[in-house]
Amino acid sequence: MSNAHAYPHEPTGVETRKLGMWVFLSTEILFFGTLITTFMIFKGREFPGIKLTDVYDIPFTSISSFILLMSSLTMVLAHNALEAKDQEKTRVWLLATAMLGAVFLAGQIYEFTEFYHKGFKLDTNIFSSTFYVLTGFHGLHVFIGVVLLLALWGIGQRQQGLTLEGGMNLEFVALYWHFVDIVWIVLFTVVYLI
Amino acid sequence: MTKIIKPGKQSSIFRRPSSETGIWSWITTVDHKRIGIMYGYAAFFFLLIGGLEALVLRIQLSQPDNNFLTAAEYNAMFTMHGTTMIFLAIMPISAAFFNYLLPLQIGARDVAFPRLNALSFWIFIFGGAFLYSTFIFGTAGAPEGGYLSEEVGWLGSAPNGGWFGYQPNAGMKYSPGTAMDYWAIGLQILGIASLISAFNFITTIINMRTKGMRFMRMPVFTWMTFAVSFLLAFSLPIIAIALFYVTFDRKFGTTFFLTEGGGDPILWQHLFWLFGHPEVYILILPAFGIVSEVLPTFSRKPLFGYAAIVFAGFGIAFIGFGVWAHHMFASAISPVAQAGFGLSTMVIAVPTGVKIFNWLGTIWGGKLKLNTPMLFSLGFIGMFVIGGLSGVTHSVVPADTQQTDTYYVVAHFHYVLFGGALFGIFSGLYYWFPKVWGKMYNETLGKLHFWTMLIGFNLTFGPMHWLGLQGQVRRTWVYAEETNLQFWNIVVTIGAFIIAVSIIIFMINWIFSKRKGEKAPFDPWDARTIEWTIPSPTPEWNFSKAPEVKALDDFWHAKYEEDDEGRAVRKESAEQLLIELEEEGLNPTENIVLPNPSYFPIVLASGLPFLGYAVIYKSIPLALIGSLLLLIGSFGWGTEPLEEEVEDEEDNNEEYLDNV
Amino acid sequence: MSEEHINHPTPKRYVQIAIILGVLTAIEIALYYTEDLVGAFTAPLLIILAVGKFVIVVGWFMHLRFESKMVNRFFAGGMILALILFAIVMIERASANFS
Repeated sequence: MSNAHAYPHEPTGVETRKLGMWVFLSTEILFFGTLITTFMIFKGREFPGIKLTDVYDIPFTSISSFILLMSSLTMVLAHNALEAKDQEKTRVWLLATAMLGAVFLAGQIYEFTEFYHKGFKLDTNIFSSTFYVLTGFHGLHVFIGVVLLLALWGIGQRQQGLTLEGGMNLEFVALYWHFVDIVWIVLFTVVYLI
Repeated sequence: MTKIIKPGKQSSIFRRPSSETGIWSWITTVDHKRIGIMYGYAAFFFLLIGGLEALVLRIQLSQPDNNFLTAAEYNAMFTMHGTTMIFLAIMPISAAFFNYLLPLQIGARDVAFPRLNALSFWIFIFGGAFLYSTFIFGTAGAPEGGYLSEEVGWLGSAPNGGWFGYQPNAGMKYSPGTAMDYWAIGLQILGIASLISAFNFITTIINMRTKGMRFMRMPVFTWMTFAVSFLLAFSLPIIAIALFYVTFDRKFGTTFFLTEGGGDPILWQHLFWLFGHPEVYILILPAFGIVSEVLPTFSRKPLFGYAAIVFAGFGIAFIGFGVWAHHMFASAISPVAQAGFGLSTMVIAVPTGVKIFNWLGTIWGGKLKLNTPMLFSLGFIGMFVIGGLSGVTHSVVPADTQQTDTYYVVAHFHYVLFGGALFGIFSGLYYWFPKVWGKMYNETLGKLHFWTMLIGFNLTFGPMHWLGLQGQVRRTWVYAEETNLQFWNIVVTIGAFIIAVSIIIFMINWIFSKRKGEKAPFDPWDARTIEWTIPSPTPEWNFSKAPEVKALDDFWHAKYEEDDEGRAVRKESAEQLLIELEEEGLNPTENIVLPNPSYFPIVLASGLPFLGYAVIYKSIPLALIGSLLLLIGSFGWGTEPLEEEVEDEEDNNEEYLDNV
Repeated sequence: MSEEHINHPTPKRYVQIAIILGVLTAIEIALYYTEDLVGAFTAPLLIILAVGKFVIVVGWFMHLRFESKMVNRFFAGGMILALILFAIVMIERASANFS
C-alpha cells in the first residue's frame, strides 16, 4: 500500500476493507439464521388457509434459482478479468452479473404477484407472513447488490477504469454477491424443496 | 519538513468541509477523539434524562396509594427509563471510551473506517432523537379490556410495554397508538449504529495494531472492546429481525407473535433474550476493561493473571450466548430447557469469579493510592460481587419463579448495571480525564462524589432485595398501605435523591476542572499503557510516529526495571524519558495524513428517522425523503476520497488509502 | 496484491465448478419430483446437496480456501454459533406443547 503513511497497517496480511466485509457477512449469517429459524418453527405448525404448496411453481423457481447461481459464475469471471487487468472483459461480466440479478428479481416480483392473486397474501396466515418476510429480505439484498454492481460498472466507464485497491472495490462487492447467492441456495432448499 | 496534510477545497464533486473550529468542525469530524467526546456528552445527557425518569418513579412509590402519576404515565416512565439507560446511556458511554481510547491503546492514528465511525455516531443521535420524539408525536391509547383512562397526557404518550416489550402486551391490541412503534423502530435504528461500530472496532483491533502490538500485548481494555464488539456483531442481528416482526405485526397485520393468528409469543422471548443476555455483557465488559486498567496502575503492581483475565472475558462472552432462557423460567419452556439453562447460568459465574480473584490478587500487597478512579474501581468490585451473587440465585429455577418480576430482580440488575457498569465508567471518566482535557479534576470533589454515590446507591437498591422478597411486584404503580412496604420504599426514594446529589457534584467537578483545573502533568498516574506516552490533551494526530511495543505494559517497562530482589525500581532515565516524549509528541517529524472531515455521514444518518416515520404513518412522501437522503449520502460518500492524494517526494504514489 | 492471487483458479476451472453446481441443482429438483420413490431420505439428501453447493461457492467463488486463517475462523465461528443457538431454539419450540 501507499507509503504516504509511514504507519503500520494490516499485521494480519488481510486487506482492511476485505476483513470488514467478512465480518459483516459473518453477522449476516445471524440475520438470515433468525429468519430461517422462524420459518422452520412455523412450518411445523398447523395453520388455516392456503399453503405455499398450493400456489408455487417449482419449474419457474428452479429456473430463477439457476439464474442466480450462474450470476455467481459471471461475478467470479469479472473478478478474474480484473486481476488480469482486462477492463473490457471486467465490464462485460459485471453487466452480465447485474442483468442476471435483475432477472432473478423480476422473477421474484412476478412470483409474489401471482401468489397474491391466488390469495396467498402477507397476512393470510402465519406461514405466508414468514414466507414473504424471509424471501423479501433476501430480495432486498439482491436489489442492493444489483445497485452496487451497476455503480461499479458506472465507475468502470471512467478513464482510469476499475482497480482492486481503491474506492468502490470489486472484490468486496463480489463477496457480498456470492453471499446473497449462497443464502438463496439454502432458501431454495428450505422453503421450496423440503 | 513536517506538514499535516489538510483537505483541499474542491477535491470531489461537492465542496469539502474545511472548518477546524466551531460547530461545523464537530458535525463533519471523523476524528475518533472528537467522536468519542460527542458520544460521551450525548450519552451523559440521556443518562440525566433517564435519571429524572427514575426520580419521577420513586416519587410515585414513596407513599402507598400515591397518585403523583397515573398508571399510564407510570408505564411510560419505567419503559423509557429502562430503554434510555441501556440503549442511550450505558451503551454509548462505553462507545465513547472505545472511540477515544482504542486507537490510542493500540498505537493507531484512527480507527479502520473513520467515516463509518462518524456514521454510527450520527445514527445513534438520530435514533435517540427519534425515540424521544414519541413525547411530541406519539400516542398511547387505552388497551382493549383494560382499565387505564382513555386520555393520557404527554408524559404518558411514550412507549409503555416495558423495555423488553413482551408480546402480546406490546402488540396493537394491548398497546394501541403509535408509542410502541417508536420503541420498535427506534431500537432498530440504534441497533444499526451499534452494529456498524462493532464491525469498525473488530477490524481496527485486528488490522490497525502498531509494530510489536501482538494480541497478547494488548491492554485489557482493548481486549474487552474486542469481546464486546463480537457480542454486538452476533447478537444485534437477532433482535433486528425480531423487531421487524413486531413492526410487521403492529403495522401490516401479520401475527408472528400473536396466538390468535397462529403466532408464538414465546418466540419473541427467545429472540429478545438471545440478544438481551449478550447485551448484559455488552454493558458490563467495558467496565471490566476499565477496572483492569485502573487497579494495576493505582496498586503499582502488574495485573495479576493477564492471560486469565483475557480468556475469562472471552469465556464470559461465549457462555453469555448460552444462558438466555434463564430470563424465561416463568414462561412455558420445557423442564429440560429449564434444567439446562439453570446449569449454564451457574457455569457462567466461574469465569466471572476468575476475574474477581484476579482483581483481588492485583491489589493484594500493592502500594495502593486511593485516588478517585481507584475508589470507584474498588467500589465496583464490591457492588458487582453483590449483584453477581444475587444473580447466581436466579439460576435455581424454583427460587427464580418466586423472584421473577419482583423488586428482588430490580435490585439484582441495578447492582450489576449501576454498581457494576456505571461505577466502572465513572472510574474511567476520572482516570482518563487528564488525558482528554490536559487538566486535573478536583480530588476532594471526586471523593465526595464517590462516597455520596456509594451511600445513595446502597440505600436505593439494597432495600429493594427485601422489598422484593416481601412481595413487592415490579412495574406496578401503587401498593396498598396494608402491605407494610412503606418504610423501605421511603428509604429507597431518599437514596435515589442522594444519587441525584452525587451526580450534581460530579457535574460541578467536571465543568469547574475542565475550565480552571490545574494543568495535568505528563504522566499523572505513573501509568502502564501507551496512551500515556503522548501529550495531554491528545494531539490531533495521536502519535507523532508509530510507536513500537516491546512488551505488555510497555510504558511501565520503559520507566521501571527489576532490582536483584525482583522489586520494581524506577530507572534514573525515567524523568528524562518523559520530557523527551512530550517534546516528540508535540513536534512530529514526519508528514501526517489525517482522514478528511465529511458531510456525508450526517446526511446519510438523517435519512433513517424519515424512513422510521414513513413506516409508522405509512407515508410515501416521507419514505421518498428518507430514501433521497440515503441516496445523496451514499453517492457523496462513494465519490469522495477519504484522504488527499499524497505526492511523496521519492515515489509518486497515488493510491488512496482505505477509501471507505 | 499479486502473490495473494497466484493460486486462484483459472476461468476454465470456474466454469467447471459452475457446471458441478448446475448438476447438483438438477439433482435437487429431480429429488423433489421423485419424493415418493426416495421417501424419508429426501429431506436429508436435499440438505446435504445444499450444504455441498454452499461450501463450493464459499470455498472457490468467494476464495475462502485461499484466505487467511483469521477470516476462515471468523466465518466458521459465526456459522457454528448460529447453528447451535438456532438449533436450541427450534428444538425447544418444537417440544413445547401447542395442541
